[in-house]
Amino acid sequence: MTGGGGGGPVRIGVDVDKCVASGMCAFVAPGVFGQREEDGVVVVLHRDPPEDQHEAVHEAAVRCPAQVIDVE
Amino acid sequence: MDASTDRPGGPDLLDLPLPQPRECPFGPPPEMAGLRERTPVVRVKCPTGITAWLVTRYDDVRDVLGDAGRFSSRAGQAIHLMAHADPDRPVGDVEFSRMDGADYQRFRRIIGPEVSTAQRMAELRPMVQDLVDERLDALAAAGQAADFYGDFAVPVTTAAIGGLVGVPYEDRELFHNAAAVMFSGATSQADVLKVMRPLHEYLYKLVVTRRAEPADDSLSRIIARSEAGERPFTDVELVGICAALLVPGFDTTATVMAHGLLTLLAHPAELARLRADPSLIPSAVEEIVRFLGGAPGIVRQATRDTEIGGHPVAEGDYVVLAMQAADRDTGAFPDPDRLDVGRRPNNHLGFGYGTHQCFGQQTARLELTVTLETLLRRVPSLRLAVPLDDVPFKTGSIVYGPAEVPVTWDAVLPAGKAG
Ligand code: HEM
Ligand code: SF4
Repeated sequence: MTGGGGGGPVRIGVDVDKCVASGMCAFVAPGVFGQREEDGVVVVLHRDPPEDQHEAVHEAAVRCPAQVIDVE
Repeated sequence: MDASTDRPGGPDLLDLPLPQPRECPFGPPPEMAGLRERTPVVRVKCPTGITAWLVTRYDDVRDVLGDAGRFSSRAGQAIHLMAHADPDRPVGDVEFSRMDGADYQRFRRIIGPEVSTAQRMAELRPMVQDLVDERLDALAAAGQAADFYGDFAVPVTTAAIGGLVGVPYEDRELFHNAAAVMFSGATSQADVLKVMRPLHEYLYKLVVTRRAEPADDSLSRIIARSEAGERPFTDVELVGICAALLVPGFDTTATVMAHGLLTLLAHPAELARLRADPSLIPSAVEEIVRFLGGAPGIVRQATRDTEIGGHPVAEGDYVVLAMQAADRDTGAFPDPDRLDVGRRPNNHLGFGYGTHQCFGQQTARLELTVTLETLLRRVPSLRLAVPLDDVPFKTGSIVYGPAEVPVTWDAVLPAGKAG
């Protein structure tokens, strides 16, 4: 399913208009994603996360219910 | 095999709900596996009289729930099971669960921070811990046996959602009554209005009070956040928001909590693994939600002629997404019928998927996590007081799970300092 986080750096894109403030990303990858205080919308805390976070980042992308997160 | 034989109206439609035999109180009805393999998109007749496509494969369920453009929530998420939920009724001003697009986002983004963010969960954790500890102390003081569902799970989840929104525990009866009527399949629309009116009157007073005197609760912050935005919520909308958190907010969680404990007690090797390594508790919570799947399928309606997994579906057709069956799909989970408290990855659909995915999921996770941590720490001798086969299951509620979980213990250890 998920390819895991092997290889080089990851690039994270978010389409905030689609975000439904579910908190799934911040739950799965807390160091990388947070949520705005005023509306719960995702914020990327770490655009180029360390390798040990890559798997969690991929998991967040798969589990985000609104397909907001794009990982390359 | 091919779709031509199963258009609406055929006399030999499969009837929902499928029977749930006593021998397997944890999984989806056993017939689901065969459907998933042979007819993953199949025409069914629902107890409310509508016909729909039942979808059982993981990829198909995710596809439908993830595409609000092709599949709208407008008809209502449980019109297949709740007689009072007429799919053609107009969408109420606060019925956000039936809205799509910008109207929906307006609700989601004001309420979201109160029930989803890591900061909010960290704030709520000590309250939940106190509720769990106090309830265990009370049960220990009363003896060495209890009904874990009625005496623990219901009061704890009720107090937690009440505390979150800002409704005192003494006033729980109003939303308990509303939930009992809403989630019974048989109620009429008139009965629902009858039980919702006193709840709405009560909440209206609460809204007026909190507008005048904000407190440290979600309602007060929802009011403040909404006032700061472009289209502040009206009092009527605020009442609806409170009801929408309180009514689905406790019994689903209480049922998964009780059903989850029962599942662990029936899988002693997995329970022992958890006891030996409590760091597995978060993944155990995910696994319990996957394994049990709290919701009896949810409904969407096709907005255009389209396909699900290659199977044609016409505009206006209803679709029932069987997340329970999807979460046992061998194509998505290795050895899916095995309870594995360490399962990773676990991209289950127990809270749904897509824009309408459960609002309260982080709150539910928090309550389930704190409960498991505390039970393992304080009541290591917890066990069933009756044989598994004698545990009664609910009938007449769309939230499936045990009606009672009789448990016993040798001692409840002191609360001590929470981790
Ligand atoms: C283990 C416990 C729970 C389970 C299994 C569960 C399951 C679900 C599912 C499957 C949906 C999706 C409905 C859809 O897509 O149409 C949903 C929606 C919802 N849940 Fe939960 N839920 C739980 C706990 C809670 C709690 C604690 C709250 C309140 C704090 C809550 C409030 C809601 C609300 C308001 C919706 C409607 C969201 C919408 O349609 O936009 N739930 N829940
Ligand atoms: S998981 Fe997706 S929808 Fe939820 S907060 Fe993160 S980006 Fe937004």
